[in-house]
Amino acid sequence: MTELLHISHTMSLSWRYGASWYFAEFMRALRDERRILGLRCPVCRRVYLPPRPACGNCHVELREWAEVKDTGTVRAFTVVRTPIIDPATGQPRPASYGMALIQLDGADTTLNHYLAENDLSKLRLGMRVRAVWREERVGRLNDIVHFVAEDSDQ
Amino acid sequence: MRRVAVIGTGQTKHAKARDDVSQAELAREAATRALADAGITIRDVDAIVLSNMELFEGRALPEMWVGEGAGGWLKPVMKIATGGTSGTSACIAGYHQCASGLFDIVLVVGWEKHSEGATQTGMALVDPLWDRNVASGAVGNFALSISQYAAERGVTPEQAAKVAVKARRNAAKNPCAHLQMPDLTVEQVLSSRMLADPIHLLDMCPQSDGAAAIVYAAEGRAEKLCPRPAWVRAAVTRHDQPTIGDLDRRLVTMRTLRDAAREAYQRVGITDPLKQIDVAEIYEPVSYAELAWYEALGFCAEGEAGRLIDEGVTGMDGELPVNPSGGVLSANPVGASGVIRVAEAAMQVMGRAGAHQIPNVRTALATGYGVYAWSDVLILSAD
Repeated sequence: MTELLHISHTMSLSWRYGASWYFAEFMRALRDERRILGLRCPVCRRVYLPPRPACGNCHVELREWAEVKDTGTVRAFTVVRTPIIDPATGQPRPASYGMALIQLDGADTTLNHYLAENDLSKLRLGMRVRAVWREERVGRLNDIVHFVAEDSDQ
Repeated sequence: MRRVAVIGTGQTKHAKARDDVSQAELAREAATRALADAGITIRDVDAIVLSNMELFEGRALPEMWVGEGAGGWLKPVMKIATGGTSGTSACIAGYHQCASGLFDIVLVVGWEKHSEGATQTGMALVDPLWDRNVASGAVGNFALSISQYAAERGVTPEQAAKVAVKARRNAAKNPCAHLQMPDLTVEQVLSSRMLADPIHLLDMCPQSDGAAAIVYAAEGRAEKLCPRPAWVRAAVTRHDQPTIGDLDRRLVTMRTLRDAAREAYQRVGITDPLKQIDVAEIYEPVSYAELAWYEALGFCAEGEAGRLIDEGVTGMDGELPVNPSGGVLSANPVGASGVIRVAEAAMQVMGRAGAHQIPNVRTALATGYGVYAWSDVLILSAD
């Protein structure tokens, strides 16, 4: 039988995504003022992170900005122990690392982000955390390095 | 709306790598088997619906170059790509085409060839402004949800491992399944490599190469072509908000599945799913998800899912066998996986499931699941 062969292919591709008015404002506040902005639904009053032009529940336009704090509560957590591709770099992110869904104070949604702590026994639901910011910010969520326990001296 | 039935199904042998065939040949294998099972030829088919997540293979426009393998030459063809629900969504679209009176015979073909690309690469192409900033992948995402679900509903790693064992042991009776492990034990699942707490390697579905197809026929044709057609009694789909952190306690509430199931049950007159459904083929990419789906599908009250698996209620000989085929935990060619669920449910109703046939099936349930945000529910029955 014919030997079964493979063709390997690696491409470097680039995209240029439009942030739109609402995300541009979110990025500006993050980069220039280290502030996190959500959009509030005028009907159900939910504060959405990421900000978006419409509320999925009410299908109305969102225009009212709401300030969200960089502290919050862990609603879900894990320690990832296998290398997973980091979409920010395209390369596997070295394991182990902590991850959580964090409900930032003032938001009704949760934020998927990294935790500095990767010892499972030190993580729990309801844990209070705060963001550790980069000095150089570009207006992306990666401007936050990770979250640490709120009373940590990091 | 006309009544519509599944009159034939076909699957490939799902495997880690099918280096011997292209995607088009995979699709052709499944389509040819489904046509033979239905006792018709491609000339009898009025339209084709395809299901595939092409970004996993990085090869665009599969509806063109794979469409021919599926039999789409000079026929109306459409493709559906909605993550894990792609296959069930394609089955629902095919049902709509047939039920509407537009076409009499519709072929649905789903496939994936995960060996050609990294599934993780596909998962990395999430929203560039938001979720793409964090590396969580499918495993990390599930792990996060499970921490909430396990805490609220009290399910244990042992109970989840029992789901994984049930799947792989059932799969040993299914010649098409990818992972067949007749001797797998709970201890082996719990001692397999930890991917992301609390998910072990053997708690997670594999990545497979494979294809599946079903043939629909409208009333009038279905009875003539098939001695025991599997009639579609309900086909319901639900979508939810898009960002990972949007959904309120995802696995815990699973509102898309809950809502879709409620509507499907209403249409068919099901008030006690555990008693009225004879077999279920549900989309469980991770062991814990199956437990959560038991609750969302109303097989038991909230917090009772662990008891269901402990008592063998969903085993091959239980009151409601769940995934006698081995499920997604035993084969996951994503674009095909939803079609496999519907095909397996139909096979059970038609009495064509071979060694994994459940006796006397009249009513079967099939579900699809995609990234918590989407759910599909189909109910098939002998009448």
